[in-house]
Amino acid sequence: MELVFQNLDLFLFLFLLALGFSIGRILELRHYRSIRQREQSLADILAFTNRFPPNPVDRHDVRLVSGAVVISSDYFKQFVAGLRNLVGGRFRGYETLLDRARREAILRMKEDAKRAGYSMIVNVKIENTSISGGRAGTMPSFELLAYGTAIRPARSA
Amino acid sequence: MRFENRTPDESVNYGIEHPLKEFAWLLGGVLGGLFILSLLLGYFAGELAARLPYRYEKNLAAEFGFRSGNGQPDAQAAAIERSLNRLAARLVPHMALPDDMRITVHYDDSPVVNAYATLGGNVVIFKGLLAGMPDENTLAMVLAHEIAHARLRHPVRSLGRGVAFAIVLSAINAGMGHSVASNVLGNAGGLTLLKYSRDQESDADAEALAAVVAAYRHAGGSSEIFQVLEHAAGSEPGRVTMLSTHPLSQDRIDAVAELAKQRGWALDGPRTPLDAVLAGVHADEKPH
Repeated sequence: MELVFQNLDLFLFLFLLALGFSIGRILELRHYRSIRQREQSLADILAFTNRFPPNPVDRHDVRLVSGAVVISSDYFKQFVAGLRNLVGGRFRGYETLLDRARREAILRMKEDAKRAGYSMIVNVKIENTSISGGRAGTMPSFELLAYGTAIRPARSA
Repeated sequence: MRFENRTPDESVNYGIEHPLKEFAWLLGGVLGGLFILSLLLGYFAGELAARLPYRYEKNLAAEFGFRSGNGQPDAQAAAIERSLNRLAARLVPHMALPDDMRITVHYDDSPVVNAYATLGGNVVIFKGLLAGMPDENTLAMVLAHEIAHARLRHPVRSLGRGVAFAIVLSAINAGMGHSVASNVLGNAGGLTLLKYSRDQESDADAEALAAVVAAYRHAGGSSEIFQVLEHAAGSEPGRVTMLSTHPLSQDRIDAVAELAKQRGWALDGPRTPLDAVLAGVHADEKPH
């Protein structure tokens, strides 16, 4: 017990690392399950990066739809990224983090469109904003925003 | 025409590799690299430090505020220091010190069983160790060993190595590097954390033995010091810090005996008793 108190810094660090890894891993796997499942169920809402719909219609309703996600790294990912900083290579931890964020943002945008009764979104764009501002010592956190123009054939004659 | 948004191919944008595998590789690689780097840097820093002119080492010792003892020296402590320095003066002519190197022996009246050499030719002997000395020959072996460390520039080498190591550490973590650096550079001028390698210890043993033989005409007392330490460790292990800074090993005792045999030195002879002042040093009563 004395050993723990004498090296409290080290034990705290190991504890945070283990916590970051285990909780982060559980949440990530759960999130991916949810993403895959919702991607299937929202497959009927089509998103295009083109500015105009592939099947042009004369008259249509339009509406701005968007989906935003704020993500943050965990202690484990940040530590591994710190080691990566020394040797270079793929930041795998951040790759999955950003992949989840992009897909989640698109899903939220599609949900927004579906709720409003639209089934097609054109001119989809993804923006990101750093919340932590990239300052040293802060946990990297970003907002990812997916937005586009939802269109449907005009209902009002 | 029919359109669909296909689900993303999950093998492209991110790896499916388990994150712990990457973690293990990175940590192992980085720690291994740092280990090799710190060994290399430490070696060169040590060699460089040993080539530092001695007067700079003296300035360093002054700069780190080297002081011995705990508080005001009383008359008895001053007398003990005089006796110790007299003994050192008897050994120094046999040790081929550089011209500008002066050995100063300090007495510390704490009950720790230890002695150490530090920057600037300063040698510190603790009361705990002094109280266990059976005769002058054994004490001379201890003193000669510490003087040999000073002559071989071990304290400044160790300091150079420690500082280089701290620099490597501060590359990863500024706080960690800083705490190591301030440890190495001595908290409150103690400089007791300087550690010597096994080779340095045996080099110092060999030099000390030669000096003791030259001064007393026999090697008596050279192996007793280990027994004194072992005895003290048996009664109160926590106090015998000398065993952690000067690791005890049968190899060292054997090496000393072997060296004496090779050179044809007498292994023992008439012992010189401690002078009245030094013989009057007794261990404290154990605190209740």
